[in-house]
Amino acid sequence: MEDKNNIALSVRDLKTFFYTNNRCNKAVNGVSFDVEKGKTLCIVGESGCGKSVTAATIMQLLPTLSRIEEGEIKFQKDDKIINIEKLEKNGKEMREIRGSDIAMIFQDPMTALNPVYTVGFQISENLKYHTNLNKKEIREKCISLLNDMGIPLPEKRVDEYPHSYSGGMRQRAMIAMAMACNPKILIADEPTTALDVTIQAQIFELMDKLKKENDTAIILITHDMGVVAELADNVAVMYMGNIVEAGTADDVLRRPTHPYTKALLESVPVLGRGKNQDINPIKGSTPDPYNRPIGCQFAPRCNWQTESCDVMPEITQINETHQVRCHKYEQFFEKYK
Amino acid sequence: MTTYIIQRLFIFFPMLLVISFLVYSGLELSPGDAVSHMISPELASTITAEQLDAMREAYGLNQSFLTRYWIWLTSMVQGDMGYSMAGGVAISEIMVKTVPATLELSMVALFFSTILGCSLGVISALKRGSGTDNSLTVAGMAGVSIPEFFFGLVAILLFAIELKWLPVGGRLLPHYETLWDRIPNIVLPSLVLALMMTAGAMRYARSSMLDVLAREFITTARSKGMPEWRVNILHGFRVALTPVVVLIGFRLPLLIGGSTIIEQVYQWPGIGSMFIRSVRASDYPLVMTISLMYVFVVLTASLIIDVLTALIDPRVRLGKE
Repeated sequence: MEDKNNIALSVRDLKTFFYTNNRCNKAVNGVSFDVEKGKTLCIVGESGCGKSVTAATIMQLLPTLSRIEEGEIKFQKDDKIINIEKLEKNGKEMREIRGSDIAMIFQDPMTALNPVYTVGFQISENLKYHTNLNKKEIREKCISLLNDMGIPLPEKRVDEYPHSYSGGMRQRAMIAMAMACNPKILIADEPTTALDVTIQAQIFELMDKLKKENDTAIILITHDMGVVAELADNVAVMYMGNIVEAGTADDVLRRPTHPYTKALLESVPVLGRGKNQDINPIKGSTPDPYNRPIGCQFAPRCNWQTESCDVMPEITQINETHQVRCHKYEQFFEKYK
Repeated sequence: MTTYIIQRLFIFFPMLLVISFLVYSGLELSPGDAVSHMISPELASTITAEQLDAMREAYGLNQSFLTRYWIWLTSMVQGDMGYSMAGGVAISEIMVKTVPATLELSMVALFFSTILGCSLGVISALKRGSGTDNSLTVAGMAGVSIPEFFFGLVAILLFAIELKWLPVGGRLLPHYETLWDRIPNIVLPSLVLALMMTAGAMRYARSSMLDVLAREFITTARSKGMPEWRVNILHGFRVALTPVVVLIGFRLPLLIGGSTIIEQVYQWPGIGSMFIRSVRASDYPLVMTISLMYVFVVLTASLIIDVLTALIDPRVRLGKE
């Protein structure tokens, strides 16, 4: 956010709407954020808040009934700036970016790999389309990628099918696939939700290593606050298609200023605080996207709701890095001083 | 893979044996024996019981059921299929004449229906909800529900009688010798035969393809920047193919059975026409041989499906190696 050259991807006022049965779901409703090179941006929020749609929008991998309504996605490729939202959905330019400049890993490695092709084949596709390597070099690269991901016996494993891989190994293979062309941005859509906790830690360690070694920017989508605390450099908290609070990990986790962020943090049990700690789940549930509250989207579930909340609050820049979308942020922020 | 095929073969032969036994006992259960069919109704009143017994003795029909089955089976395996009771022609000779005709017809139909069915199904799935998809759906419904012989007759009326493009029927005409001469004869029967299966394969390919296109690995392929054809065909269709292959494989016997009617309509000298004739004439040795041949075809078809699905989908091979 300081140096312009440091920013790999910049999203401004992005709106992605879904149209079903003549109704419009404003899944992403005016989102802005920057992704810095070599940093991890965590996008946090409850299910259905628009995290995954934001990710799919950046890759232009939206389902048929949805489209980018407004806004800009500026991607810095070498020295050029490309407006992703203006590219044709499955056109040549978009395809050149996908997989080579921006890569993605998905939530469930069980279903994200094609069952009828070997893992090696699926990684090599990426290299075949985005590099000039010949067959032999591609194969060697696949093996070395699998090796880097900590898969044992990569020479043998490269010719095996996904069904003979374990869940954690499949996700490693997915990451190998995504990292094949050294992407500038890696989008990880809840990459460990389907895996158990020990494997989770390994996968995150791996991602962290890759980030440091290749200067890759990571957009990590998660609903796990523990993961955020562990990995994030920057955090964006989303609720009902809007970013309600954003800033560095320190800003958001230590000085949460939006009632929703506070509520999210309070709803997670903390290890070591014992059985009697207070866990406060957020009351109510997310509103029907077709029947949204007017004004602040969180107001109906908020403990500090007032009449002024009937108007959608604007984004307020608290300091250089920290921004929030709440009328009452001052009363929270005062406390930290 | 080799072990997998060998395992399948181990199931194949015992199955064939069991079914051959069932075919044989089925005929044993039917009223009367071979002798009673050899005697014409006029002679039946004049013949004595002793004469009948003597005939049974001569044909070996008074031996036990199992002995007879064993004799039949061993000679069958050696290629001796016996003689047709109508005319006394060697059955092997009849088979040599008719089996190639039927195979030719059904293989051509299989080829057309597989290619057409799969490609139309994929097109239909890719353009879901469009005009093309809807008209293909309606055509598919019509194809599945209208009986083949009706199509056959309409096709004769239209292409052979009205337009005079193609011959009415028959397979080998006297002065037609090269392959090119024979092609016009096979076009109508094979297309009519293929029609129903095309419609079935198309509906199946469509739904299988739609199912696969919604899967996550399709998004993965797209996220790697693969072009659309590669996403749809290499990643989508390859996976969608497995159930379609199974369907087509299990329709294969139906195709050969279905050709019975088409062979009648088009005067095609195949095994189907022969089967109908032999049943009418109570020509038991011939009925038995043809039934056994159908069994053989069904089992071979399912063996081929097993091998094909294992080739297409590596998960099928799992645990077999």
